[in-house]
Amino acid sequence: MSRTRQLIDRLRDELGASAPMPPAPPLPRVPEPPARVFPRRHEGSPYAREAARHTTALLGIGHVGTRYATDVVLQFQAELAVAHEAVATELPADWATQNGLIGLRSRVRDHREYLLRPDLGRRLEPESLARWTQAGQHGVDVQPILADGLSAVACMQSGLTLLDSFTQACRARGLTVGVPVAARYARVWLEDEIGAAVSAKVAAILLGERPGLGTGDGLSAYLVYDPRIGKTDGDRNMMSNIHPRGTRPEIAGVRLAVLARAMLDQQRSGVELDLSGLRTELGDVASRAHRAPQVRVRLVEVAG
Amino acid sequence: MILQALPPRILSVRRLPNADPALLLAYGADPQRHRSLGLVTVDQDDPTYVALDEATKHADVDVVFAKSFYAGARHGSGPLSGEILGVLAASTPDEIDEGLRAFVRCLESDACFYAADDAGKTAVFPHVIAALGRYLSALAGLSPGDALAYLVAPPMEATIGLDMALKAAGVRAVRIFPPPTETNFAAAWLTGPLESCEAAALAYCEAVVRVAANPKGEVWGS
Amino acid sequence: MRLAATIRSVVHRFESLREVLAKSNAPKSGDNLAGIAARSAVERVAARAVLSNVTLETLRQNPVVPYEIDELTRLFEHSLDEHAFKAIAHLTVGQFREWLLEDQTDGLKIRSISAGLTPEMAAAVAKLMSNMDLMVVASKCQVVVRANTTLGLPGRLSSRVQPNHPTDDIEGILLSTREGLAYGCGDAVIGVNPATDTAESTAEILTAIDGVLKRNAVPTQHCVLSHVTVQMRALQLGCPMDLMFQSLSGTELGNKAFGISVALLDEAWALMKERGSARGPNCMYFETGQGSALSSAAHHGVDQVTLEARCYGFARRYQPFLVNTVVGFIGPEYLEDGPQITRAGLEDHFMGKLLGLPMGCDACFTYHARMDQDELESLKVLLSAAGCSYLMSLPVGDDIMLNYQSTSYHDIPSIRRLLAKRPTPEFDAWIVERDIWDYERDRPGRAFGNAAAILP
Repeated sequence: MSRTRQLIDRLRDELGASAPMPPAPPLPRVPEPPARVFPRRHEGSPYAREAARHTTALLGIGHVGTRYATDVVLQFQAELAVAHEAVATELPADWATQNGLIGLRSRVRDHREYLLRPDLGRRLEPESLARWTQAGQHGVDVQPILADGLSAVACMQSGLTLLDSFTQACRARGLTVGVPVAARYARVWLEDEIGAAVSAKVAAILLGERPGLGTGDGLSAYLVYDPRIGKTDGDRNMMSNIHPRGTRPEIAGVRLAVLARAMLDQQRSGVELDLSGLRTELGDVASRAHRAPQVRVRLVEVAG
Repeated sequence: MILQALPPRILSVRRLPNADPALLLAYGADPQRHRSLGLVTVDQDDPTYVALDEATKHADVDVVFAKSFYAGARHGSGPLSGEILGVLAASTPDEIDEGLRAFVRCLESDACFYAADDAGKTAVFPHVIAALGRYLSALAGLSPGDALAYLVAPPMEATIGLDMALKAAGVRAVRIFPPPTETNFAAAWLTGPLESCEAAALAYCEAVVRVAANPKGEVWGS
Repeated sequence: MRLAATIRSVVHRFESLREVLAKSNAPKSGDNLAGIAARSAVERVAARAVLSNVTLETLRQNPVVPYEIDELTRLFEHSLDEHAFKAIAHLTVGQFREWLLEDQTDGLKIRSISAGLTPEMAAAVAKLMSNMDLMVVASKCQVVVRANTTLGLPGRLSSRVQPNHPTDDIEGILLSTREGLAYGCGDAVIGVNPATDTAESTAEILTAIDGVLKRNAVPTQHCVLSHVTVQMRALQLGCPMDLMFQSLSGTELGNKAFGISVALLDEAWALMKERGSARGPNCMYFETGQGSALSSAAHHGVDQVTLEARCYGFARRYQPFLVNTVVGFIGPEYLEDGPQITRAGLEDHFMGKLLGLPMGCDACFTYHARMDQDELESLKVLLSAAGCSYLMSLPVGDDIMLNYQSTSYHDIPSIRRLLAKRPTPEFDAWIVERDIWDYERDRPGRAFGNAAAILP
């Protein structure tokens, strides 16, 4: 290569760093401010009112540019915060005993491990298992288990009501009910080991369900016949959305007892359980994996 | 970006294998020794002088004619005129061909003006010839093989640049061409050891860049 | 085969290619849950170093799930394009990564060798790539498919309207659909996840959506995401169905848990080609997602990225119109937080595109994963910048039936304007005609967001 061109290349690199910037283009003229900037007018949309009769999806909410209005953003953030808070809340270690229940714990040691290791949440830690085998009543028809699941908030809010109504409805149907327990860091399948330890015929775990937006207080119930380790999801029957705005705990307890009675009668559970004769009594539970619609509540009110 | 190369454009290249003796005489050739001519026009004059000199190092050719046109390439008399006509003379067309090849190589990859500012409006020619050929050495009163810094810029930039170049390195001025040249530039030829010629060319070039960026200096600036 | 690498004079040895692939993976909680993840960051790099030196031919010879026990492995082996394979077989995974990134390697060149890649090769090279690498290569790959509209053209970003309802209330579904259309969403598909998995309800929802699309002359396609056997029965009831849906897994065992097999999908595809209502040649819609095989204990000790790639190997047999990775839906035990979900979304999109699929992504999170709206919005922009074919869209991104967060009706026009993207050409003409978008001023048109203007 040309010697002169090499020299000039190097000089360009040296000067490049210190070379003055070309002058900036002149700023555009800033217009005078308007006399006054007016806020947007929010008009309730007829479409939103029509939609509210059929769905809880947030419809007819309008737009600002292509984005949300401020009140939509706040409502939405509040719903998300409620859901996250429900997940983050832990069942206090002494909550069971304070409420007259036997407290058990899965093999999970902390909340993060609970989220990441469902396998550990399905097994009792050895001390709990030994204590439960001692204290539990063996050979009962139904062993109820209250548990935190993914929402300790739901467990603490509606859990005792659901447990009571379920227990009474079972007894009313002539079923023997075991000593109630409350399990921490529990997954659904933990009912298998708890039920098996006391040879219960049906295990019923009532636990906080994965929160949805603005609904951190829903409980689900999973019932299994002949509980033992190795049962799968297909062996269970479930009911979800148990909370004051969905299926109320008082009603849910009765329906779950009907379900338990059917399991004992047919000596099976899950997909094989025939519920065709019980549709009126069971309501939602008759169709598998059904969710009751939820009511959306306004969460944010600013003091004016 | 500053110091972008501004590559010269060769506008025409023709050869006269057997030129008329009257033409040979008129363009400064010697009919006794020369029979063939090679003619070129280019849109930059100073790189052409360097490239013509380069040709004398690679072939047995003489530069018999080389003249810049008034006011530069932008005011040429025709689309092929450019800024300069150069004429090589030799005894055979083959020598002319060899010389023209060296000439073209030099213009394509070596000698060129550079833009001294971002807009490309100021041109500078800070060229270093490591070893002179027969043509420029004769014009400069030096010997073939000597080093030369061949420096060209517009009048103000060239004058400031020359002062920096002379002070930057152990060089001496062999010729100074104050403005206006035919193309309205100013130029200088400096000689000395090769490293000194290089240092001088760089100092000249840097000064031209600085003057172009700040024409009124520190006192009168801004 | 000696599988070892030395880092700071510590020799890291690996037993099998399967282990190398697993330990090369970017951190994923699902690989920890399966007990196959790298034990440290240094071991992860050592595994990647070993992997970078393995040839693609070796990967073909060592499928992660044995040929004898898995019909997908057999499918991949027998359907591989030998001519395309020969062109790249000699490359190491590291060299393959560089070939993909080179400027001379354009989308057409990648497409020409795509049929010679096994899923393991796509997964392997993804493990050697950073997020930006994944985006750069994926953006080169164009996969254009046709049903009623043409999806995947350059400069396009499509969306699925997902008007789910917890009790399949038809009115509720249609109200949500109309709102989505009014925001310029739904050019990929109007796709409903039904609460009730019966042929009658599938047919009822499809018929109702078909009516709204016809009355408003909307150029798009519809789909109800019930089980494939349910949709086959619905077709026999005589309902319109533009796209047929199924979730896929990356192993035979995993697909068994989903109640499907290669033979069943072959049958479904044949039926759809005969009875489906879309005009174009592509009529299937598949969903996948990292972790699904492990959740049914069908992973055979294989990492979730490689298994995800195997879903794509399965999907491409059926020349689908849409493939969608539901990236954050499965929960934190598989993808723990924002960075893991982001990484998985970009990996899946890259692997699918590399294997020649029209990849979309349901960028989403469940409420027990550590992710929030801001992080999710970033992922949507990253995916769109990488050329993702389509995203989901729901009212405020909130699925009131499945209880998770995804893309919203408002996000789609926002991203399109940010990145100068448009919907499919057919749908684009429709939103201009309806004054939903004003391209002359590049802003919402007068009918934007006005669902009442869409006929019920």
